[in-house]
Amino acid sequence: MREFEYVAPKTVKEALNLLATYKEKATILAGGTDVVVRLRDEIIDPEFIIDIKHIDELNGIKFDKKEGLFVGANATMHEIQNDKNVKEFYPFYADACGHVGSKQVRNKATSVGNLCTASPLGDSLTPMYCLDATVVIEGPKGKREAPVREFITFVRKTVLERDELVLGVKFPYVECKGIYTKNARRHEVDLSNIVATILKVGDEYRIAYGSVAPTPIRLVKTEEFLKGKKIDDKVIEEAKKILTTEISPISDLRATKEYRVSVSQSILENSLKALG
Amino acid sequence: MTIDGQYTAIGKYLPRVDGVAKVTGAAKYAADINMPRMLYCDVVRSPYPHAKILKIDTKEAEKLPGVKNVITGDYYAKRGGLYLADKNFLAHETAKYRGEAVVAVCAETPEIAHEACKLVKIDYEELPAVLSPMDALKPDAPLVHPELETYRVAPIFHPVPGTNISHKHFLKKGDTDAAFKKCDKIVEHEYYVPHVQHCPIETHTATVKFDQSGNLTVWASCQSPYAVRNALSDSFDIPLHKIHIISEFVGGGFGAKAGTTIEGIIIPLAQLNVGRPVKFTYTREEEFRDAYVRQGMLAKIKTGVDKTGKILAVENNFYWDGGAYNEYGVNIAKAAGFASAGPYNIDNITTNSYCLYTNHPVGGPYRGFGMCEIHFCIEQNLDVVANEIGISPIEIRRINGLRPGDKTGMGEVMKVSGYQPCLETVLDKLKYDPTPKKVSEHKIRCMGVAAGWKSPSQPTDAGSASIIRMNEDGTFYVHTSAEEIGQGSNTALTQIAAEVLNVNPNRITLKSGDTNMNPYEWQTVASRTTYCAGNAVKLAAEDLRKKIFDLAQMKLGYPARDMYLERDDEHDCTWVVASKYHRDMKVDMKTFALGMPLDDGSGIGGPAIGIGTFTLPNNMAYNPADSQSEKGVAFWTIGCTGVEIEIDTQTGHVKVLQMISCFDPGKVINTELYAAQVEGAMIQSLGTALYEAMILKDGKLMNGSFLDYKIPTAYEMPDVLESYVVEFPEETGPFGARGIGEPAMVPGAPAIANAIANALGVRFNQMPITPDMVLEAINNKKN
Repeated sequence: MREFEYVAPKTVKEALNLLATYKEKATILAGGTDVVVRLRDEIIDPEFIIDIKHIDELNGIKFDKKEGLFVGANATMHEIQNDKNVKEFYPFYADACGHVGSKQVRNKATSVGNLCTASPLGDSLTPMYCLDATVVIEGPKGKREAPVREFITFVRKTVLERDELVLGVKFPYVECKGIYTKNARRHEVDLSNIVATILKVGDEYRIAYGSVAPTPIRLVKTEEFLKGKKIDDKVIEEAKKILTTEISPISDLRATKEYRVSVSQSILENSLKALG
Repeated sequence: MTIDGQYTAIGKYLPRVDGVAKVTGAAKYAADINMPRMLYCDVVRSPYPHAKILKIDTKEAEKLPGVKNVITGDYYAKRGGLYLADKNFLAHETAKYRGEAVVAVCAETPEIAHEACKLVKIDYEELPAVLSPMDALKPDAPLVHPELETYRVAPIFHPVPGTNISHKHFLKKGDTDAAFKKCDKIVEHEYYVPHVQHCPIETHTATVKFDQSGNLTVWASCQSPYAVRNALSDSFDIPLHKIHIISEFVGGGFGAKAGTTIEGIIIPLAQLNVGRPVKFTYTREEEFRDAYVRQGMLAKIKTGVDKTGKILAVENNFYWDGGAYNEYGVNIAKAAGFASAGPYNIDNITTNSYCLYTNHPVGGPYRGFGMCEIHFCIEQNLDVVANEIGISPIEIRRINGLRPGDKTGMGEVMKVSGYQPCLETVLDKLKYDPTPKKVSEHKIRCMGVAAGWKSPSQPTDAGSASIIRMNEDGTFYVHTSAEEIGQGSNTALTQIAAEVLNVNPNRITLKSGDTNMNPYEWQTVASRTTYCAGNAVKLAAEDLRKKIFDLAQMKLGYPARDMYLERDDEHDCTWVVASKYHRDMKVDMKTFALGMPLDDGSGIGGPAIGIGTFTLPNNMAYNPADSQSEKGVAFWTIGCTGVEIEIDTQTGHVKVLQMISCFDPGKVINTELYAAQVEGAMIQSLGTALYEAMILKDGKLMNGSFLDYKIPTAYEMPDVLESYVVEFPEETGPFGARGIGEPAMVPGAPAIANAIANALGVRFNQMPITPDMVLEAINNKKN
């Protein structure tokens, strides 16, 4: 690990100035649960670490039914998992945040950090995909917003410019029922080999999977097929078939491709049965 | 023991004597050693599984400010090794596995050492590599050690020069060819056990320092200070009295810290920097690959039975993937060879156990020392045979499991054997029922059992010594070099001394982990410590007691013959009592701490010191032609594990709900430490059965960190995790005790494998049995 300079701005404006100055030489640090690992493994080699944890504007979780939910960049997995409104109106998102790493990791890691890492298996991302969450970004030219599906472009790639900062994520409020499922080799402290969130909104279903493609994805064909249908064994069987045309998992150390397909189908079946 | 024959310390729960120091953080482990003017080492490792080292350019590294020295394998090229001298501490001429240390850097800070490593330029010529044990045996296989015939080897090992065979162990009992002809059923299967890692919480670490008089001090996280001392003396030609090994606390060993791994890399650096300590600590990633690993093994096993289920013949071929250096691994192939029958009464056995060089990480001791691996095969094959002839897996064990009077595979008559009562205890406690039960739409539950045995694989003359000193106030120091590696030896040995001396254990301080202060101990391995070091401590305490009685007969005016010791916690002392007929005639034992004052003002006897030395009597080397011996090993510890598992048929996850073991440790010294050993061993076996494997691809370790190498967490603990005991005393054991730490791990993995097979009707010949494998089997059956 090379030596770097650590800076801890107190305001977003200050942080943006630092980013504008250092650009690609800087790495943003929030919870640090990804950044520190990558520093130690010498995958990244920044000259400056900009720690945003001391920016109060980025703290907190806000909710009302009109505006929906806003999760600030510094909100930890632990805070989100235990937030009263998240638990009541977005329980599948609370579940997702509660399944990241270990308790110690959840005390530090942030959901926005999880988003910016842009891993295909990010545990807290499929709820964002299901709800078509919006990423709120600020840069030298001011604020802009990006739909989450456009924000992540590939494995560990996003549309975020080097001089921009994610302020938080907006989730619209939607009357729905939802189920989050994580499958991993081990129950605790492991990475997902399949992760999914499935929502029922009115007579429609929204289905998002992780660890089945280079980014988390929505299964739009399966959703289209299920729209307005009454769930029975025949419909489930058909949906499971369509699902296989939409996912393209790989075999790696954590699971085989065949395993991922089979478990993806089981998750769909279980969720549809539970949601009705 | 009281005059009424009651134990006062043995068979009871004494809280760990090292517990407070450990839970408060006061205990100083080798990794905690920090001294003024310390230097730090880091190494450059080979990126190839097998390569010739053409040229090493260290100039740029040497120029980096803060770098003291950069050395290569040429700097100190003497080969060493415990049983077979095949290893250089830094690769010399060729690098034989991906990760092998090639260059060592010594610098003022760990960061400078790390940066300097990046500046070393090495030209390699890649050589063809041997990447599996079966490839190692091919006639045209590349040779990992072309100069094998020149290596020094202990006489009990038989390398085959011109091949990759570092040891071939052969066992023959009876006539298998003739016996197989009489069998009604013969079952032959192959099994594979991958490499696994010990994962001690403290990685390997050592600090070494030479003083100006040429004395070498080594602070090491090691299991066997005397073996380290011996190895370093041999490798570096330093006399033993000039080497001081200190290893007071060890953060987990499990076998990985039995030999020497990193000390030899830094000793030449310390020689170049006399007066300055040099420290080297493995990263977790290095710990995974560059400390010892449990060897992989392929087994071909053939079991023949008659129609009643009696095993008539067994033929085993074990192929051990020993890795680049087999200096220790040869002994595992040997242990597997002589234990290859398992705890069964079989008249005809042929076994070949090969230790093979490959271009993989270096194999070495791991809890079980080959037994976990071979029993994964033996115990599954037994279930398969039973099913094929239509008797239950339990029945076949009742028929063949060793009983007193039966002969082992080595031809030794078992004087005692707890096999059958252990099996029945487990069946009873588990309420064994092998019928699969569907408990919900996607959940199946089922049970399985397996047995196992293990003996120490140690030289027949391995020695132990202890010294006990009484202080003026009637407290004691017990000196031993049994190493406390978390297994609880300091506590068990304290109890043994307390029992003989009939003192409250809180009056004893146990001293270990320092070769300058404490007497010889061969090694803390092989589940031999309670037995061997325990015997030495017991003998030392008895020697001290005898010396006290000799003086007390003058003081009390009664013969030593009838004297006994009486523990009196109320008065915080121990009485020397004349006899049970003269209980009032007594004197506080501490009276004799400095000998005995006489009435005329003179004294007699001198300070009270007891000495105990132990070598197992009549432990005879086996005949190398067939491994037969009347008394080839110190003892066999036998036991049984039963499990109930639940399989999720949608995800292939296997959850162990119940895990119950019963063993025969001869005599339990400490009830809670016995339970802790057995429970810990069960969980470790669960880890290997379901989660753990080092994934090697073209010699590269693909999962060398906890990110992708998973061990069980608290969640994976079975809801029911219980240990039971039957006690048939070991004739030569202290208070009848024999070892338990490793044997307890042996049957766990095959018990889980048997339960999965009972549940699904599918047999897995390889561990770990992962969710992908289970789900694939379920889906294949469905289609």
